[in-house]
Amino acid sequence: MSATIPREHEPTALDDGVTASTGAARGVARREPVLEIDHFSVDYGVGENMVRAVSDVTLRLERSRVLGIAGESGSGKSTLVYAMTRLLRSPGLISGGEVTLHVTDEAGTVTPVNLVSATESELRKVRWSHVSIVLQSALSALNPVLRIGREFDEVLKTHRRHLTKAQRRARAVELLRMVGLNEDRLDRYPHELSGGQRQRVMIAVALALDPELVIMDEPTTALDVVTQREIISELGALRAQFGFAMIFITHDLSLLVELADEIAVMYAGSIVERAGARELYEAPRHPYTLGLLHSFPPLHGERRELTGIPGTPPDLADPPTGCSFAPRCAFAMDRCANDKPSLVEVGDTGRSVACWLFDDASGSRVPVALSRVPSRAATTKGET
Amino acid sequence: MSEVQVERDAVQLRASHLSRDFTSRVPGRLFSAKRVTHAVEDVSLDLAAGRVVAVVGESGSGKSVLARMLARIVTPTSGGLELRGTPIPAKAKRDLAYASMVQLVLQDPFASINPVHRIRHSLERPLLIHGAERARVAELAKAVLARVSLDPSDRFLDRYPHELSGGQLQRVSIARALCVQPKVLLADEPISMLDVSVRLGILNLLKGLCDDEHLAVLYITHDIASARYLADETIVMYAGQVVEQSHGTALVDEPTHPYTQLLIASVPDPSDPTTIAPRSPSAGTFATASVGCRFAPRCPHATARCAAESPPAFEVGPSHLSRCWLHEGNRVATLVAPTTRRKGEPTTT
Repeated sequence: MSATIPREHEPTALDDGVTASTGAARGVARREPVLEIDHFSVDYGVGENMVRAVSDVTLRLERSRVLGIAGESGSGKSTLVYAMTRLLRSPGLISGGEVTLHVTDEAGTVTPVNLVSATESELRKVRWSHVSIVLQSALSALNPVLRIGREFDEVLKTHRRHLTKAQRRARAVELLRMVGLNEDRLDRYPHELSGGQRQRVMIAVALALDPELVIMDEPTTALDVVTQREIISELGALRAQFGFAMIFITHDLSLLVELADEIAVMYAGSIVERAGARELYEAPRHPYTLGLLHSFPPLHGERRELTGIPGTPPDLADPPTGCSFAPRCAFAMDRCANDKPSLVEVGDTGRSVACWLFDDASGSRVPVALSRVPSRAATTKGET
Repeated sequence: MSEVQVERDAVQLRASHLSRDFTSRVPGRLFSAKRVTHAVEDVSLDLAAGRVVAVVGESGSGKSVLARMLARIVTPTSGGLELRGTPIPAKAKRDLAYASMVQLVLQDPFASINPVHRIRHSLERPLLIHGAERARVAELAKAVLARVSLDPSDRFLDRYPHELSGGQLQRVSIARALCVQPKVLLADEPISMLDVSVRLGILNLLKGLCDDEHLAVLYITHDIASARYLADETIVMYAGQVVEQSHGTALVDEPTHPYTQLLIASVPDPSDPTTIAPRSPSAGTFATASVGCRFAPRCPHATARCAAESPPAFEVGPSHLSRCWLHEGNRVATLVAPTTRRKGEPTTT
């Protein structure tokens, strides 16, 4: 479990000046934000055919923490991270909001960088050194005609100019060992590696410059469950060692419950619920989250019929007025069809929900299924 | 096309000792050694009316090749098929009669339905090929869409595939298979490409077809939890072999083969926060032994014997077989599918 991982940075053989690690400074400053997303919106196209893919997302990620983003295809979760790192291509367009990355330099001073307004050269300094990304399909992310070693070489050559060829090679070997691969993989081509090995290479490349934020876009979706488990546990060990913060995107909510500190659930481009991982699992507040959690057949207990969520996700080109989940929601009221609920904090646990059921003014009664209190097991997580 | 329902539990399709090898050249050596991959080795199973048999395995375990052999798209290297008691000649070409009895549904509905034609075309074509009267075709296509709960069916018939969501399109794909009134439905990872929220809908649809229309269903998946949800009988495959097989959910509740144990321990399970990461000794490699037990290189319990001798299947419980030397004290069983039991009979002791 991610919460049980010690955050202290342990000096290792890697602290040889090559990495210029600032991990020690990071380990202490747990409550500082590394990333702040403020009212961020992304559109595809303009004018008549405009599709709002991400709408008014506000998120905050603290140092060394794991934020999970769960959502189905088309929910905008990948668009969000591509836009936020300015990797989104036309016709994708950032239509509003701010993204601030708090960059820690080698001396330990923290400077905020506005990623939305940053110029290409400013972005170049931030990318990979401070924020890196691991994509879903490692087969298409790795250049098929280059040996694995070149992937490491290019990153190090671009961002660490002072390194010699031998030093770069040594660093690449070190990185591969970290993810459990033998150094002979450096001379292989991507097609010679299994899916799990390719994904490990991607993770090693992402960690090459010891970034403070690593974004993982469905890194294990294409892998077998055994390989997924191995990679997840390796990520835990690597995070314990280097203390990077992580945004982990997946459609598999049960994986996030194990892995993340905090989870944001996205539906039709908006965040519908944000809560601590255990709280979200023990007591989902949004009807969509409840439905998602009931969409995974359990491995234990009595076999009983599950229903999933009726209907299909909305077409973003023609979004429903009001709450986008209302047409599929078992708890929908008249109001849901017309007014779109915004994400508001409920209770004192720091969790937020975008649902009219939790609007005090309306005086509506919260359904029993959505009003449970997280059990003791949930609240004492972290101490165990 | 007969609408007569078959009796529940009647064996529709029996596969005995199916094997399939693929030969490939060793890279870089043009005229010399051929390499043989045993994609599926000696698999026997019965698909009975009104029953779901689930085959669980990771990619490369041979589960899709098995489905394709059952659909007779891939010819078995050895072994035989029996359709409703009639043996199928091994080398004969797949004919229309067989296709109308056994239908295959594939993983990716976007790839398996022709994108340039309306849904109507995809449903009417198999009907015409299988000899339905032209005048009745439109009506039959509408009826089959209603069977997979796509309402109103008129609206869907005139749509193009890109206008439907993945879940809706997978229903069309199942509807297309049902058009010809098959007795056996082979579903090869029917939900793995779909959104989480619509997956259960498809599983429940398969379950419904099985219960209400007594279809025999083979459900192939890599998700052992969904197999547990659906299956009357579960088979776990590793590297082309059946490693564990049980009636009902016995295999998931009490796994006896080290591979099944590893598989189950790897599934994210939020209901059990103490889940610890299992380690298989050769993390990151997909080592498969050519002699002895195929799983031995990754197995935490492997002994010298495992590397030398391939274990037979041992009976570890009623209708529960495990191919592992750990269960050597138990009775040796042949890996022929256990006769399907009736509902209500005890499955575990």
